Amino acid sequence: MKTGAVRHGFEDVRPLQAVPQLWKLRPRSRLVRFTLAALALLVVYAWCAGDIGFDEMFTARRAQNFERFVGTEIQPFELRAEPFSLMRHVEWAWDLGVARGFEGALATLAMSILAMTLAASAASLLLLFAARNVATRDPFQSLETAGARGLSWRLVTATTRAVLIFLRAIPEYIWAYVFLALFGPSAWPAILALALHNAGILGKLGAETVENLEPRSLSALRQLGATRAKIVVAGLFPLSLSRYLLYVFYRFETCVREATVLGMLGIVSLGYWIQESRSRQFYDQMVFFVLLGAVIVFAADLFSTFVRARLRRA
Amino acid sequence: MTLSRKQPSTSVSCADPDAWTRVVAGSAAFELHSASVRYDARAALLEASLVVDPGESVALVGPSGAGKTTLLRLLNASLTPSAGSVCVDYKNLAQLSPVELRAVRARIGFVHQDPSLVPNLRVSQNVIAGALGRASFFGSARAMLWPRRTDLERAARILTRVGIGDKLFQRTDRLSGGERQRVAIARALFQDPSALLADEPVSSVDPARARDTVALLCELSRERGLTLVVSIHDIALAREFFPRLVGLRAGRIVFDERTQDVEAGALTDLYALAGLERVETAREIER
Amino acid sequence: MKSSAELPLLARPAWIGPRGTAILLLTAASIAAWFLLDLTPRALIPHAGGIEVAKRFFAGALQPAFEYESEVPPGTRPILVTVLEYARRTVVFATAGMSLALVLGIVLGFFASSAWWRGEHIGGASRTGRFLARTIWPFVWLCTRGLITFMRSVHELLWAVLFLAAFGLNTFGAVIAIAIPYAGTLAKIFSEMIDEAPRDSGLALRQIGSSPITVFAFGLLPRALPDMCAYAFYRFECAIRSSAVLGFFGFPTLGYGLAQAFENLHYHEVWTYLYALMALVIVVELWSGAVRARFVA
Repeated sequence: MKTGAVRHGFEDVRPLQAVPQLWKLRPRSRLVRFTLAALALLVVYAWCAGDIGFDEMFTARRAQNFERFVGTEIQPFELRAEPFSLMRHVEWAWDLGVARGFEGALATLAMSILAMTLAASAASLLLLFAARNVATRDPFQSLETAGARGLSWRLVTATTRAVLIFLRAIPEYIWAYVFLALFGPSAWPAILALALHNAGILGKLGAETVENLEPRSLSALRQLGATRAKIVVAGLFPLSLSRYLLYVFYRFETCVREATVLGMLGIVSLGYWIQESRSRQFYDQMVFFVLLGAVIVFAADLFSTFVRARLRRA
Repeated sequence: MTLSRKQPSTSVSCADPDAWTRVVAGSAAFELHSASVRYDARAALLEASLVVDPGESVALVGPSGAGKTTLLRLLNASLTPSAGSVCVDYKNLAQLSPVELRAVRARIGFVHQDPSLVPNLRVSQNVIAGALGRASFFGSARAMLWPRRTDLERAARILTRVGIGDKLFQRTDRLSGGERQRVAIARALFQDPSALLADEPVSSVDPARARDTVALLCELSRERGLTLVVSIHDIALAREFFPRLVGLRAGRIVFDERTQDVEAGALTDLYALAGLERVETAREIER
Repeated sequence: MKSSAELPLLARPAWIGPRGTAILLLTAASIAAWFLLDLTPRALIPHAGGIEVAKRFFAGALQPAFEYESEVPPGTRPILVTVLEYARRTVVFATAGMSLALVLGIVLGFFASSAWWRGEHIGGASRTGRFLARTIWPFVWLCTRGLITFMRSVHELLWAVLFLAAFGLNTFGAVIAIAIPYAGTLAKIFSEMIDEAPRDSGLALRQIGSSPITVFAFGLLPRALPDMCAYAFYRFECAIRSSAVLGFFGFPTLGYGLAQAFENLHYHEVWTYLYALMALVIVVELWSGAVRARFVA
């Protein structure tokens, strides 16, 4: 940028303060600077600490492995001898789908739907105890103007929030792993695992939604003499439902994605067949099931986007 | 400024041989020749003709929806008329190449109704952004991320001139509405413009600030010899500060006079029955 | 006050809007799912062995192990050091994967957004610019969309499984397995954030004659940047969880130690690992929350 050609350089104006002096006075956030520095250091450390076998990745053995995997193993076993024909491949995939894949995919979807319903119901109760404008002595005021909330109420929100953070800090896969040991093989461990983790997330998001509600309409109901429960049903519920449902359907998409892998623990779903073909080293079938999983995740994604668009318009 | 090698259109009288000398003096001249703008079926501007001489201060008055914003966007070359022509510095904009058009825009400072700043950048960056119209991408990146000392000093002087010299390195979203408006003006000045266009610059600030802002714009244009066209809702302010008023209603220019010649009746007519007028315009379009 | 314009609104049944439909849909689907999966509540009552496991498991929650539960050969590192080592590796893989995903996600996110080529071209878009916006860019946009959808439709564990099958066990595979789906997700969300960011500042830059790329970089992108940072930080938290779970597939992260302890029925040790994982996740969550509050306020 040429500044020499400027006509109105405003040289006639004496600046209030010299630029370096203003620069010294600039507002800056220690937290943000610390965060940037810490994350940069962490990234450098992660790549340099030597835990990542970078050179070990590019050896002749791995190249051979890869060549074999792509060249032969992922081609359908039955068709390897024949010349390539798309029709035969489609036929092969269809047969495999009918035999195992489609049922597994359907079970995966069913598990995530049930898990979502459970999570949404559980979280909708939990969030009432986690929202600071509901769980307080004088409910439904704005968070800024509300006075002391009372020790016991503080304890209630703190406990609920701790439970929620506990639920979502543990990944679904680990929950499922634990529940499988407790309940034995059925669809329940997967459903419960998905439901618990998502309840933790939905509870947090829902509580934030409720806390951000416009307090006036709620406190107006309060002044009419409505009880806490009545306000929740008549005011809070209808006001926050749209947003909450948005979150539910947003999580549904992630839930389906997660459900495809939970089967790998031995719960009948798509993941089960992936694990089974993997352990028998039928990589052609494994790749097919992985792709089938991608298809249902994509379908769930489309569905959830569609529903959320409709909800947003309402 | 690159002067177009193309000759101005002969169909419209943009070419005034003596006018070139006035361009060099540093302020822009604007001409509209029966320009109309239509969005779909609705006419936002109907056969508007207007001549603004270099260094002149003009206020556009009229109710909302009268076509003030459309007119300003025509002058700024960010809108092309569906009929008629627009000349800036005696050049017909319809005949300029995209590169030349961008050069024209780079010389016209535009102050928006809402300040249109980037709230999470520092004031200095928002001001220096005024020069991005003339910089290459890498020049822009350099100016935004590692600004030159000279640019910063110029930004500091301009900010001091508009009254917020101490805010140079503040975050823009921490400023008040009036201060943000001044940042927007500073950004326009940093462009080193030959004209300032302002679209309702005071609609988002309180009355006292509004008066200050308009006064500042007028002072600046006088002091730096800039052509000033301001659209303004508040007739009292317009009468107080501008020597020339252009009244718009329903997409038409209804008067264009020196302020002392504008009768009070004409102003009240401007705002009265605006709805009725719009219905008539709609009928006209149907015809 | 009934005007004719209001009547169609009144005629619509008020009790079932999109929200009601969504809830009904979910309920009906759940009932169908119940029968499809052949569920019985009885299966929720743990078998006798299960109850025993449950008792011991939850007892472990109160007393996480600070010592190994069984005899270990002398010279073995103390369990806390082992757990810390696994936690460190969990963070290392998450960070490496996430940094790769961030670079990929930003590049792909740029091509998956439409704000920089679609939208109002004020007057002076050059002829080549208009040509590109009509032909090449939509094609690039569509391809990128397809690519990122595929990348994130396959779960990171499945990517890991694919890499295991293709290359054999290799730690770099774990990094890539995290990076690919996370890059896809980041790209999708980034592009949406860019496209939904307010356009006024970009428009102002365009009006003073900036080139489209400058408008994008200094008018649009800064508006979306705080949200993008907050989201990336949230994904980092998810990456730590994913990295931990990758341990179940033989990578040396928290999940590996956890699975081992679980299989040896050392439930107190299991809880040591669980608490370590929770501590990591909670620290990152609180940290990102503080940074986000800083950005928003």
